[in-house]
Amino acid sequence: MVGHGTMGMLGEDGIHVDMNHLKSGEVNLGTSIMAINFKDGVILGADSRTTTGAYIANRVTDKLTQVHDTIWCCRSGSAADTQAVADIVSYHLNTYAITNNEAPSTQVAASLFQELCYENKDSLSAGIIIAGYDPRHGGQVYSIPLGGSLHKQSYSIGGSGSTYIYGYCDAHWKENMTEEEGISFVRSALQEAIKWDGSSGGVIRLVVLTAKGAIRHLYLPDTNYTGPGATN
Amino acid sequence: MTGFDFSNYNRNAALHARGVPLPKATSTGTTIVGCIFDNGVVIAADTRATSGPIVADKNCEKLHYIAPKIWCAGAGTAADTEFTTALISSNVELHSLSTGRDPRVITCMTMLKQHLFRYQGHIGAYLVVAGVDPTGVGLFTVHAHGSTDKLPYVTMGSGSLAAMSVFESTWKPNMNREEAVAICAEAIKAGIFNDLGSGSNVDVCVIENDKPTQLLRNYMKPNERGQKERDYRFPKGTTAYLNQKIISKEDMRKYISVEEASGDPNLMEVDS
Amino acid sequence: MTSLVNQQPHSEAIGYSFSQSTHAPNKQHSFYPYTDNGGSTLGITGADFAILAGDTRSVAGYNINSRYAPKVFKIGGDDETGEGAHILLSVVGFAADGHALKERLDAVVKMYKYQHGKPMSVRACAQRLSTILYQKRFFPYYVHAILAGLDEEGTGALYSYDPVGSYEREQCRAAGSAASLIMPFLDNQVNFKNQYIPGSGEGHALEPKKAGPLPRSTVEQLVRDAFTSAVERHIEVGDGLQMMVITANGIEEIYTPLKQD
Repeated sequence: MVGHGTMGMLGEDGIHVDMNHLKSGEVNLGTSIMAINFKDGVILGADSRTTTGAYIANRVTDKLTQVHDTIWCCRSGSAADTQAVADIVSYHLNTYAITNNEAPSTQVAASLFQELCYENKDSLSAGIIIAGYDPRHGGQVYSIPLGGSLHKQSYSIGGSGSTYIYGYCDAHWKENMTEEEGISFVRSALQEAIKWDGSSGGVIRLVVLTAKGAIRHLYLPDTNYTGPGATN
Repeated sequence: MTGFDFSNYNRNAALHARGVPLPKATSTGTTIVGCIFDNGVVIAADTRATSGPIVADKNCEKLHYIAPKIWCAGAGTAADTEFTTALISSNVELHSLSTGRDPRVITCMTMLKQHLFRYQGHIGAYLVVAGVDPTGVGLFTVHAHGSTDKLPYVTMGSGSLAAMSVFESTWKPNMNREEAVAICAEAIKAGIFNDLGSGSNVDVCVIENDKPTQLLRNYMKPNERGQKERDYRFPKGTTAYLNQKIISKEDMRKYISVEEASGDPNLMEVDS
Repeated sequence: MTSLVNQQPHSEAIGYSFSQSTHAPNKQHSFYPYTDNGGSTLGITGADFAILAGDTRSVAGYNINSRYAPKVFKIGGDDETGEGAHILLSVVGFAADGHALKERLDAVVKMYKYQHGKPMSVRACAQRLSTILYQKRFFPYYVHAILAGLDEEGTGALYSYDPVGSYEREQCRAAGSAASLIMPFLDNQVNFKNQYIPGSGEGHALEPKKAGPLPRSTVEQLVRDAFTSAVERHIEVGDGLQMMVITANGIEEIYTPLKQD
């Protein structure tokens, strides 16, 4: 008498559900990311949480991705999309460096990111912050939000957790901070974002880009994000 | 480019719009795990394949060969995991032959992620890639959309939460081979018993530095079927028929080669 | 009127353009209180007994809610243990409705005894259960129920129901998620369908094997084999098998463990 409809949503598996389900089951970087300029260069920072729905697929993710020696990016949005874009940019920058016998500028990297994000805006969900140091321009921070526009900024925040720290960053931001001040600013801002945003969490990763190259920092929740600090 | 045939796409989309359900693919509602140890990496999987709530295969193989020292555990749509790993295995071997070097895990992972990203998640392969190469030990997960993660211990599939609970509660750094195999088997068992999509046996693959890869098929069999209480063999002549035609072995030998079967001819072996 | 604006002018027209037919359907909020908790039940009658059995697993999606959630209940007993009952009810489908239905029928059978001073006959109880189910015709108890007992002659009686009260007395019945796996086995092994007596005739004259009441030991073996086999091929069946055997001497409960994967 009372039958189950066969035309609606099918079961947990099968082609039909795979097609519709996968987009929603996509791995997302519900994120807190930021990058700032300071006296000697730039600092990038990110949390380490990757989620599929409510499940944390990776609690120690590295969302700070190197695309050249001292040009890095912070990824937010779809993990697959941002990894693919970063891989392509990395390829082009390496080719650029070899053919021109000169390291690319941060702006070149940012333009490549913008090209990819703008031309494929319909199929990408990627919010990327690019930060780099080059001898000619020093440290620079660029942001590419969802539509593929490009913005040069003194500092940039992104991801779902950034909404909670606009006020904090605005209140505490200073131009030309020292390295210690810059690290403290980024670390404290991300700590606040992680505290309020459920989609952000895990450890805080930082990268400091200066004339001396790239130095990574790690801050663990075990010690209330106070250490261990520089890791290489 | 791989040769997918889209010629029935419009017809099937039209049929589906009119209410015809799409065919059900065999999905490996699965538990697969991987864990690195001091001298290599181990991956493991359960052996149940399902089609909806029905068990399609009680002892399927979810551990796929890519290269002698790179193996892959697959979850998601069974056909996608099999064909994707076979394709990448083929390309990895050609690449290895052309460069004259041993294949690397990261090469294989990159080829997988680029292939899967191109198909935007329509190829439903969720993989754990593991192996050892000249650069060291590698362990990655690759999602159907093309995202990858690099971790010391990983789980995937419908039983991934049950399996991850084992790792998150008992994993410790710098384990040896025996400890890694034990924790992986325990994680798979958590999936087998707590996730309905996973079941039957535990398959394990150990890839070690300077040692041949060991595929431990049915490393554990915690779900063997008990003895049936009644005998269901029918007496000869039980089935009705209206006419019969007997073709002798000699007649068949004219067209094909016929071999004598070994063992009891009255036995019906349905479970291999 | 939004319905006039949104109407599709040529929804039946055949074409290769799917831009019009792939429009997103208007999403509407809905309340759906039912869950399928899986599992299977099975009942078989004999000359002087009836057996009702069910697995004890309760599921939701790919998760196991419980490894011991009984689906077979004693109806109209003297106390909470069910002592003194002479009717059995099994319910499979939506466990919460099953529980509510069992509680209702139990109360009805008890009230009958208090009001009439005699136990309710299985036939009367079967009819009453049908009425209870049909009363909720437009918000049904989402269950497949099976009622078992002994009739006035003392032979095994088995009644099976659809969710809205259509019922029938039968020799054997499987219900629930693995019903389609178990029922054909029962047809063949209890009613001897598709089995003929070897050498009893040629062609159409071949005589079918005649079915009759089976002894209790055989039926118990068939039930256990049916469930151990269903466990092999259905993911929602497992953990334990609860068998209730009703005879003139009362109700006997037998529990057998099943595979837990």
